[in-house]
Amino acid sequence: MKLSYYPGCVAKSTGIEYDISTRSVCKALGVELEEIIDWNCCGATHCSNETLAVGLSARVMARAENPIMTSCSICYSNLRIAALRLEDKHLRDRVNSLLDSPYSSADVRHVLEVIMESMDEDSVAVPLNGMKIAPYYGCLLTRPPGGLDSPENPQILERFITLLGGESVVHPCRMLCCGGPIFMSQEEASSRSAFQILRAAKSAGAEAVVTACPLCHLMLDAMQRSIESRYKEEIGLPVLYVTQLAGIALGLGLEELALDKNSVSPLALVEGINASVNI
Amino acid sequence: MSNRSDVLKLAGDELRCCIQCGSCSASCSTADLMDKSIRELVRLVLNDRCEEALDSRSIWLCTSCLLCTVRCPRGIRPKSLVAALRHIHEAEGRRNADSSLEDLFMGQVKDTGRVSEFYLSALYALHNPKATVQIMTMGLELIPKGKIDGEKSRILGIEELSRIFEGLEES
Repeated sequence: MKLSYYPGCVAKSTGIEYDISTRSVCKALGVELEEIIDWNCCGATHCSNETLAVGLSARVMARAENPIMTSCSICYSNLRIAALRLEDKHLRDRVNSLLDSPYSSADVRHVLEVIMESMDEDSVAVPLNGMKIAPYYGCLLTRPPGGLDSPENPQILERFITLLGGESVVHPCRMLCCGGPIFMSQEEASSRSAFQILRAAKSAGAEAVVTACPLCHLMLDAMQRSIESRYKEEIGLPVLYVTQLAGIALGLGLEELALDKNSVSPLALVEGINASVNI
Repeated sequence: MSNRSDVLKLAGDELRCCIQCGSCSASCSTADLMDKSIRELVRLVLNDRCEEALDSRSIWLCTSCLLCTVRCPRGIRPKSLVAALRHIHEAEGRRNADSSLEDLFMGQVKDTGRVSEFYLSALYALHNPKATVQIMTMGLELIPKGKIDGEKSRILGIEELSRIFEGLEES
């Protein structure tokens, strides 16, 4: 399978481990990725001119020669919204009059979907040995409706965790917004949301959280130390990207998954899993 | 001064079908921070009291999570209403601390085609000194991990992008 890869703006910075592990996991699963040439930002959650947002995504999609895959939930949601709106011929013509090469249609997929389609029990080289993992969906992975799973009660992450040999723990905050888009202006409110999510996962007995969005990851992982000191509560919960977790189960190396880039180190957990396989 | 029909044009005419059930506000993860709930914003716009809606901080507290839009039983997109109000706010030249992030973010996309979180954060701190501590805290976490990219480059298709910005400025 060959896919056009849209890394998104965080791929070289705050989400670097997501980009590295996405490429490694796809390679291991025989999914060929071809990065979209000269891609632009989709506008994330900061483009209030919705028509312009469609135009930005249209340029990205028009440059793809294969089905598109992105790992960022925000990019995924924006491209899907744009593809839906571009079904309107009037808007499509207006946007196409501005593009170098016209947009016709697009098949947009999230890396989680691609992994679930390409992986089965036989490809799990290192089962997670019942590791308790809290699924965290956040918002845009499943919204708007019509994407990889139900926007109200999705199960794909639970199935993913089970497939890898982990145990998916039930907690009430799996779809509570992390507050990331308002972190800059409302730091306290977004920290409170992230704290709620982490605490719910921890109380449910999770040893790690798995997420599919770089902004959620930033809030839950990079902010975790600051949250611990603000709320005077120790959390110490590694937050792994879906691609990192899949990579661990595929037996990929630490560097291929950039596991040293996470703020809360998952290395002890990974060693535990590997040790259980070697016994 | 914008009126009801300007907002409806951007947010979708279906806004008129609102039955004020409050599913949007009840689903909103930041409702408790808002001075006016999403349901009230709809009401204000439909009653042509757009000025009050535009003045509300609520429009800057939306995280764009889309849950209101998933749940609205009337097929309204409350998130599009928020976007419309933000857009009008900007088009009318109003500025506040909350709106500056969007200005800076989209300014960067327009100039370079992509967003550098490093420059975005630095510029935001310059405009909003109160945010400096939180941005520094985040930076201190990310820099040792090599997760801050200071490189500022421009995409090749910048002319095409400018055309998109200019052609769709009037949404």
